Amino acid sequence: MSFRRRMMPIALFGATLLALGPCGAWGGNTTADMSSHEQHKSRPPVTSTVPYVVPDVTLVRDDGRTVSLAEEMNDGRPVILNFIFTSCGSICPLMSGIFAQIQRKLGAEADHIHLMSISIDPEHDTPERLTEYARNFGAGPAWQHYTGTLDASLAAQRAFDVYRGDRMSHPPVTLMRAAPGLPWRRIDGFLTPDELIHEYRQLLAAN
Amino acid sequence: MRLSAQGLLRGFTLLLTFGFPELTFAGDAALSEAIYRHGVLPSGAPLVADREGGVRIEGVTGACVNCHRRSGLGMKEGRQTIPPIAGSYLFHPRAGTADDLDLPFVEGMRADRDPYTDATLARAIRDGIGADGKPFSYLMPRYQLGDTEMASLIAYLKQLSPGAVPGVTESVLHFATIITPDADPLKRQGMLDVLEKFFIDKNHYVRAESPRLRSSRRLMFKVNRHWELHVWQLTGAPETWEKQLQAKLAAEPVLAVISGVGGRTWAPVHRFCEAEALPCLFPNVDLPIVSENDFDSLYLSKGVLLEAQLIAHELTTQRDESKVHRVLQVFRAADVGEEAAGALAAALPDERFAVVNRYVPAGANTRELAAAIRKAGGADTLVLWLRPADLAALDPVPPDVASVFMSGRMGGLERSPLPAAWRTVTHMAYPVDLPERRRVRLDYPLGWFRIRQIPVVAQEVQADTYLVCGIVSDTINHMVDTFVRDYLVERVEEMLEHRVITGYYPRLALAPGQRFASKGGYVVHFAGRTGALLIADGDWLVP
Repeated sequence: MSFRRRMMPIALFGATLLALGPCGAWGGNTTADMSSHEQHKSRPPVTSTVPYVVPDVTLVRDDGRTVSLAEEMNDGRPVILNFIFTSCGSICPLMSGIFAQIQRKLGAEADHIHLMSISIDPEHDTPERLTEYARNFGAGPAWQHYTGTLDASLAAQRAFDVYRGDRMSHPPVTLMRAAPGLPWRRIDGFLTPDELIHEYRQLLAAN
Repeated sequence: MRLSAQGLLRGFTLLLTFGFPELTFAGDAALSEAIYRHGVLPSGAPLVADREGGVRIEGVTGACVNCHRRSGLGMKEGRQTIPPIAGSYLFHPRAGTADDLDLPFVEGMRADRDPYTDATLARAIRDGIGADGKPFSYLMPRYQLGDTEMASLIAYLKQLSPGAVPGVTESVLHFATIITPDADPLKRQGMLDVLEKFFIDKNHYVRAESPRLRSSRRLMFKVNRHWELHVWQLTGAPETWEKQLQAKLAAEPVLAVISGVGGRTWAPVHRFCEAEALPCLFPNVDLPIVSENDFDSLYLSKGVLLEAQLIAHELTTQRDESKVHRVLQVFRAADVGEEAAGALAAALPDERFAVVNRYVPAGANTRELAAAIRKAGGADTLVLWLRPADLAALDPVPPDVASVFMSGRMGGLERSPLPAAWRTVTHMAYPVDLPERRRVRLDYPLGWFRIRQIPVVAQEVQADTYLVCGIVSDTINHMVDTFVRDYLVERVEEMLEHRVITGYYPRLALAPGQRFASKGGYVVHFAGRTGALLIADGDWLVP
């Protein structure tokens, strides 16, 4: 069992108890914690519950259709959301790989969840590029990627508190919501696909 | 390392099939590079790795280069610092601090660790266990590599170690700029004025008598080296340029190429930069080479190809779909309009647009040009890929067409000498920010030109050249004394989006696989009584 797994339940508990904001919990980038993975100081994931308001923005879906973010999110299905860009080397492929695993492990159940990935580099990530990216990760019909104007992407990033000034500083965040109108569960850091599925089931059960 | 002849052959066939640009390495080196950069094993099979929680990655997605970068010097992404894995950073002896190591500073380097051995490095790559016996975090995949493949990869990491860099001496950083024989003389002069003054300014602050500095405890400082500019003026036919450039580089080694100005084709220069793995920042190229998998040549925009996409977007979205539109494009032979016209024709769907390209011989006089355009009657749309002199000589009254589009980049943007009657019907591809929005960002270079008494003879070229000088200067300051060519490109990619002074452009950004810093533009039309005002037809478009 890895160090990270052992730490996880404590971290989840700790986060709830201390109600650390996601930024605070993940922040504090001092010289000492420049977390070279060799130093093994990557922080354990932290979850929180936040009543984000879905912003009124228009995005462009990977099939080229112009859509309202709110309508895409409020079609009744539970939503699992992340933010990625296709030129990103390390974090995004990992996050997309996790989405792919969730989709695979849930099988037919995945068709009833809306997996959403919003590009934080919309000027480069055209619908065609996103389609290719999605294909590389085996995205099924219930997993859509979104681009749009830079302003629209920024509005979405700010609404979910994932904007950190530039693309390279974006934090690894997964968000899930059981149904429209309910608060969001926010996970800062990486859970394994199984842990995320567990988190998702708990969220559904609690609502 | 031993490999079967068949394996080698297969590897090479595969490399050729995928058209990897780097075939200069012999046998083994090319194969280990394929693992590192492309996630392809010598057998041709994809590199396979697993992450915690059963996330499997294969092929290029798992290639080392994604995180550790081509230089092997790592990077910073979000809160993650990806450590350097170039050999000297793995195998150095244990030291108290980074300052005690005789290694160029990079973020994420570690001094206080036992050196890796081939065996512990193999364990790190396969099992995710560091030299200190502790497991890595989730970001580092656990790779499935056979012994031969592992040896090949480790050999590759060892040779990545930074060493002496051509163009960098104890006291001088050498740069070049490239000028083709068909470059516009005014643009050439304007660019050289800016470069020369920038280098003078840069060196003004260097005191020759002070000792050479090096990185120390992460303090940033101005590295005490003179900047020296080499002007590489090409002659003769484009087929000979690559050879000329190779000879110039051999005679005058440089760290990077800053700017350049050309005419009809830039392809030989682009190929030279890629073949020599020489960072080349090109602000002034009308017709850049679009090959996002290339690495070393960076451009501010796609130039006239971007304009073709902007016009194509307007035509496909604005024209009614029920009938076929006739589009006539006019350009001069031996100018970049030909490729731009080709790009626009390719972007328009055949079933809706009938495109006719009409070129005028390079030496044709303006009367012949005007005659070619007069025949446009009957077309719905006329597209002009013409320079200011040709635009100034157009008939006073445009032919009877529904609309005219023109290249802003070729035609001189808002200063284009388009006759007044044409201004009422013409839309211009405008691949820069609107005048009122860019004013402050342009005041900076224009003020700098004024103070240094640089005549403004080609404003776009000069402002863009100044912009790229600033980008190189800032990047080099941040590199401290780590002069590695690939690392220079990687740092430009990382830092560019933070720039506030972006000249003509609303914003600039690059990333791995992104070679064009500004990605969009406007389509504008002329307004006001004299047609002197510009009004955007719509929002900033990223076609």
